[in-house]
Amino acid sequence: MRNRTRFLIPVLAAGLLSAACSGGGGSSTPTGPAGGGAGGGAAAPAGGSGAFPRNETLYTSGTQWGPPANWNPLREWDFATGTKGLVYETLFMYDPNTDKFTPWLAESGDWTGELEYTLKLRKGITWADGKPFTADDVIFTFELGKMETVPYHPLWDWMKSAEKVDDYTVKFTFTTANYQEWANHLYSRAIVPKHLWEGRSEDEVMNGVNEKPVGTGPYAYQSHDQDRMVWVKRDGWWATKALNKDVKPKYIVDIVNSSNEVAMGLLLQKGLDLSNNFLPGIANLVKGNFGIETYYDQPPYMLSANTTWMWFNTAKKPMDDKEFRKAVAYAIDTKKIVEGVYGNLVKASDPSGLLPQWDKYVDKNVTSTLGFSYNPDKAKQLLADAGYKDRNGDGLVESPSGGKISLKLIVPAGWTDWMEAARVISSSAKAAGIDIEADFPDYNALVDVRNQGKFDLVLNNDKQLANTPWLYYDYLFRLPVQKLQSTTNYGRYENKRAWELTQQLDQVKPEDVEGMKKVTSELQKIQLEDMPVVPLWYNGLWSQTTNSVWKNWPSSAPNTPKYPPTVWRNWLEMGGTLMLTELQPASGG
Amino acid sequence: MTAVPTVRREALHFALRNRKLVVGTVIVAVFLVAGLAGPLLFDHGPNDYVGPPMASPSGEFWFGTTTFGQDVFAQFVYGLRSTFLVGVLGGVLAAVVGMVVGFVAGYRGGWVDELLTMLTNIVLVLPALVVLLIINAYLGVRSIGVQALFIGLTSWPWAARAIRAQTFSLRSREFVDLARLSGVRTPKIILREIAPNMSSYLFLTFILLFGSAILIAASLDFIGLGPTEGVSLGLMLNNAARWSALQLGLWWWFIPPGAGITAIVGALYVMNVGLDEVFNPKLREM
Amino acid sequence: MRRYFGRKLLIYGLTFFVAVTINWMIPRFMPGDPVQSMLSRANVAQPAAVEAMRAHYTAMFGFDLPLWQQYLNFWGSLLKGDLGISIWLFPTPVSDVIIRAVPYTLGLLIPSILLSWFAGNRFGAFAARRKWLDNSVLPVGYVLTATPYMWLAILLAWALGILAGVFPVAGAYGFDMQPSLSWDFLGSLAQHWFLPFASLFLVAFGGWAIGMRNMIIYELEADYVNYLRALGAPMRLVRRYAFRNAILPQVTGLALQLGVLVAGALVTEIVFSYPGLGHLILQAIQNQDFFLLQGTFLFIVIGVLIANFIIDIAYVLVDPRTRTGMGGAA
Repeated sequence: MRNRTRFLIPVLAAGLLSAACSGGGGSSTPTGPAGGGAGGGAAAPAGGSGAFPRNETLYTSGTQWGPPANWNPLREWDFATGTKGLVYETLFMYDPNTDKFTPWLAESGDWTGELEYTLKLRKGITWADGKPFTADDVIFTFELGKMETVPYHPLWDWMKSAEKVDDYTVKFTFTTANYQEWANHLYSRAIVPKHLWEGRSEDEVMNGVNEKPVGTGPYAYQSHDQDRMVWVKRDGWWATKALNKDVKPKYIVDIVNSSNEVAMGLLLQKGLDLSNNFLPGIANLVKGNFGIETYYDQPPYMLSANTTWMWFNTAKKPMDDKEFRKAVAYAIDTKKIVEGVYGNLVKASDPSGLLPQWDKYVDKNVTSTLGFSYNPDKAKQLLADAGYKDRNGDGLVESPSGGKISLKLIVPAGWTDWMEAARVISSSAKAAGIDIEADFPDYNALVDVRNQGKFDLVLNNDKQLANTPWLYYDYLFRLPVQKLQSTTNYGRYENKRAWELTQQLDQVKPEDVEGMKKVTSELQKIQLEDMPVVPLWYNGLWSQTTNSVWKNWPSSAPNTPKYPPTVWRNWLEMGGTLMLTELQPASGG
Repeated sequence: MTAVPTVRREALHFALRNRKLVVGTVIVAVFLVAGLAGPLLFDHGPNDYVGPPMASPSGEFWFGTTTFGQDVFAQFVYGLRSTFLVGVLGGVLAAVVGMVVGFVAGYRGGWVDELLTMLTNIVLVLPALVVLLIINAYLGVRSIGVQALFIGLTSWPWAARAIRAQTFSLRSREFVDLARLSGVRTPKIILREIAPNMSSYLFLTFILLFGSAILIAASLDFIGLGPTEGVSLGLMLNNAARWSALQLGLWWWFIPPGAGITAIVGALYVMNVGLDEVFNPKLREM
Repeated sequence: MRRYFGRKLLIYGLTFFVAVTINWMIPRFMPGDPVQSMLSRANVAQPAAVEAMRAHYTAMFGFDLPLWQQYLNFWGSLLKGDLGISIWLFPTPVSDVIIRAVPYTLGLLIPSILLSWFAGNRFGAFAARRKWLDNSVLPVGYVLTATPYMWLAILLAWALGILAGVFPVAGAYGFDMQPSLSWDFLGSLAQHWFLPFASLFLVAFGGWAIGMRNMIIYELEADYVNYLRALGAPMRLVRRYAFRNAILPQVTGLALQLGVLVAGALVTEIVFSYPGLGHLILQAIQNQDFFLLQGTFLFIVIGVLIANFIIDIAYVLVDPRTRTGMGGAA
C-alpha cells in the first residue's frame, strides 16, 4: 500500500501538466515566433523561460468571469477582455470625464450636410498583418450591421448608405439625423478588417470565435487558459508614431474572476495591479496602509459608472398612481443604502438619475422644486392626500378602495449588495406605511417576469455611462410598449410626450449643450412629476490599483491622468487604452 | 421481554459514565438551548442594522457586528435555529425513507427487495450534492423546508442499505416467526417486533443523518443556493466570505458560524460513538 | 462472478439513464428563459434587434422544438459525444470546456481521496485501543471530519496565503507562468495545488481515521480475536487480522462517500478559484448555462459510476468471499 501512494505523485504531476498544456495548447501568437508544435503549449515570449517578467507585466481583473471564449468584437457582452480596445479599435475615443471626443482611427469627422456625415481616416495605420487600414474596412464594418442579428442592426433603420469617397474618406448618408446616437456609434463600433472578415456568413460573423484576432491596436493575442487571458504588446502600433503614445506594459494578463473575495486576496498579495472588481469594504484598506488606491481617496472612492433605478410596474395597481409612486420615492432611505450597505463606495443619485458626468444636463430649477429626498413624513402626507389610509390598524396603508397593498421588490438571488439594499428599501418603506417586501428570485426567473411585466418593483442598472443622456431617456421612455420589454421601459410607462421629447433629443447636435438642456429639462419635469422610476444610487466604476509595479494611475490627485481607470468591456475606448499609455514602471527604468 | 427494563437501566448507568456521550450531548444541548432561547433575548431581527459597522466583539455585541452593523451574535443564535431545523427535518426524512425502504426490502425479500435495492443503489450512486445543486439552482424561491426535503430525499440510501442488512438478520429470529405464525400483519411485525429490536441502531443512524444534513445544507448555503430568506450558519458563512470578512479583519464574523457547525456536527459524531459503546458492551472502554 | 458484475452493470446503466433524464428534465421545467437572460446581459438597446436575436438563438439551441423531440435529440447528440454549446462561454462546445477542467479536478480528487483513505485507515488502525492516542488525537479527527470544507479552505487560504504569504490563493499555476516542462512551472503547479489538496485531505482524513478506529475496535472484540489471543498469537498478528477484516467495510465506505468527496472538491475549488469542474458548475449555475451544467453533471455521474465500478472490482480482489462467487457487496 505504501508503494502505491508513492507512485501516485508522478501520475498526479503528469495529470496537472497535461491540464495546463491543453489549456495553452492550440494557441499561437500572431506576431511572435510561429506557435509551438502540437500540444507543446503556447510559444514562449522571446528570451523568456516561459514566464512573464513581473516588471513588464500588468495584471488586471474584473471583466472576465469565465474562461475567455471568443475574440469576436461584435459580441460586445462576452468577448475576452481587451478584444475591443487592445486589438480592435474604434474611430474615436470618448472621455466621459471631460465629455471630449478624440479622433482615433479617424482623423476628423463632420456633418457636411443636413443628413450627411463625412469621415476622414488617419493615414498610415496598418492591421497587425501588415495590410493598410482604409475606408473599405470602415464601410465593411458598418455594413455588417445589415445582418439582422448584429447588435447595431437598428442603425440601418435611419442610415441610408456608407460610401467610399476615396481610400481615406467615407460619406455616410441618413434618412433621419440622430446626432446623439451617431456620436455613440462613432466611438463604440470596433472596426474589423475587411480582407479577413469578407465572406464570413452571418453565423460566423456573430457566433464565430475569431481566434487570432487581427486588429489595429497596441496588443496581440499571446495565449489564454481557463483562468487567464494574456495579451502581448505588438510592435508598430500606429499611435506611437502618429500621436506619440505608447503602451508601457509588455504583457497584460487578465485574470478570470471567480469571486470578489479571491480578487481581494490577490490584490493584497500584490498579484494584481488593477482590479475592476466590486470589493466591499475596500475603503478600509485604502485608508489603512495596504498600498491599495482608488480614484478618490475619500468617499465615494470611485468614479460613477451607472445608475441603479427602481422601476414601478405602472401597468399594475397601485403603481399606476403617480401619487403613490411619489410617496414611495420619498420613503426610501437611500443614505442608509449608501452608508450601511456600501460603506460609502457609492453615491446617492441626483433626483434626475443622471450621472455626475452629465450634471450639465440637469436643470437645477426643476430638480430643486420637484426633486425628492428621503422624508417619511412627506411620504405619509402624500399617501394620506391621495386616499391611501391604514384602515385595519396594521401600520400599513390600504388603497383608496380599501384593497390590501402588498408589493414585492425583486432582486436577483446572489447579488448580495443589492439584496441588502432591497432589505433596506423594504424596511424604510414599511416605516412609512407601504408594504414592500424584498424578494430574491433566481436571475432567469427575474428576467422573465420583468420582461413580461409581471413584477411589482424591480431594481436595474443596465444602462452605462456614455456620451449622451439620450441613452438614459431612451431607456426610461421608449415606446411602443411591447409584449416583452427586454431592454428598456420595464415599467411599461406610456407617455407619448416624453417619448417625442426623447426622439427630439436624439436629433440635437452633441455640441449644442443648450439645445440639449432645453429638452432634458422638460424630460426631467415629466420624470419627476410622474415618477415612473426612482433613481437610487450611482454604482462605482470599481477600480482598485496598487503601485508596487506600475504607477501614475488615474486619480483625483493633481498631475495624474484623469481617464476612467478600467479594462471593463466597452470602457477601453472611453479611456482605458489611454490609461495604459500613461502608466509608468514603479522602479525607475 | 421482561429483560428490557433492566437493560435500559444498565444502559443509562453506562450512558452517564461514558465520557464521549456526555460531552457530545452537553455540547449539542448547549447549542440547542442557545438556538431556542437565544433569539428571545433580542427585540430586533437578525438582519437588522443595530450597531456600528465592523465593531469588534464587546459587552454589547458579544460576537461583534458585520460590515452593515448587524449583530453577529443575534445572527448566530437565529442561524442555529435554522441549522438545527434543517438537520432534524432532513435527518428525520432521510431516516424515515431509509427505514421504510430498508425494512420492507429486508423483510419482504424477493422481487420487492430486488426492486428497492436497485432504487437504493441508483440514488446512492448519484452524487447527491450535485443533484441538489442542480435542483436548487432551478428552484425560484428557496426555503429551509424545501432544502431539508431535498436533502432528506437524497441522503437516505446508505441508511436503507444498513437497515436492510440488519432486518435480514432479524427476520428469521424465533419471535418474528412466532408473530408471523400467529397471523400478525407485516407492517405490524415490522413496527412491533423488528424495529424495537434495532432501536439503538436506528437512533445511531439518525444521528449520523442529522449531522450530514447539517453539513450538506451548509455547503448549499455557502455556494449561494441556501434559503433566500432568513439566516442560517451556512448563509452567515456565505455572507462573511462574500463581503471579504477575513481580509478586512472581521474574523468574528467568519469564525463563529463555521466553528458552530463543526462543534455541532463533531459533537453529534462523538455522541454516536459514545452511544455505540453504551449499547454494545464489548466496545466499552476497559 | 459474472452474475455479480452483470447486475452491477445493469444498475450503473439504469443510474445513468435516470441521471440523464433528470438532468434533461430539470432545466426545461423550471421558470426562466436562458436565451432571454443571455440577451439581457448583451445589453442591446433596440427592442427590434433583441427580438431578431432571440428568435435566432432560440432556434439555434433548439428550444423551439416539442419537448419529446428535444429529449430524443438530447440522447442522440449525447451518444455522439456532443453535449451542445455553452451559452455562457459562447461559442465553445461544452465538451471542450469540460475537458479543459477535468484534469484539475482529477488532480485534486484522486490524490486526496486515495491518500486520505490510506493514511486515515493506517492512522485509525494504529490509534485504536492505544489509550493516549485514542484520547488525544482522535478528538482532532472528529473535529476535522465535522468541519465544513469551505470553512477550513478559507481559513487555510487566509492564514497560509494572505497572512503568511507562503501559498497562492487562486489559480492553477502562477499568473506569470506559461505552461512548459520546466521545474519552475511544475513547482508553481504544485504550490497552487497544495492548499486545495490539503483542505480536502484533512477533512477526509479525519473521517477515515475515525471509521477505521471504530472498526478495529469492533474487530478486536470479535470471537476470532479472543480465540487467537487465547492461543497466544502475538498482538501484531492479531492486529493484522483485524485490519484485514476492518478494511472491507472501509472499501464499501469509500464507494458510499464518493459523492460527498466529489461535492467537497467542488466547493473547495470554488474557494481557491481552482479551474476545475466545481468552478464550472458554480459559474454554469450563476450564468444559467444549462448545457454546461448538464454536461458537467453528466461527466461527474459517469466519473462516479466508473469509480464505483473500480471499487467493486477492488472489493472482489480484497474480499476472498466474493471471489468464490457470492452475490452482493452490501
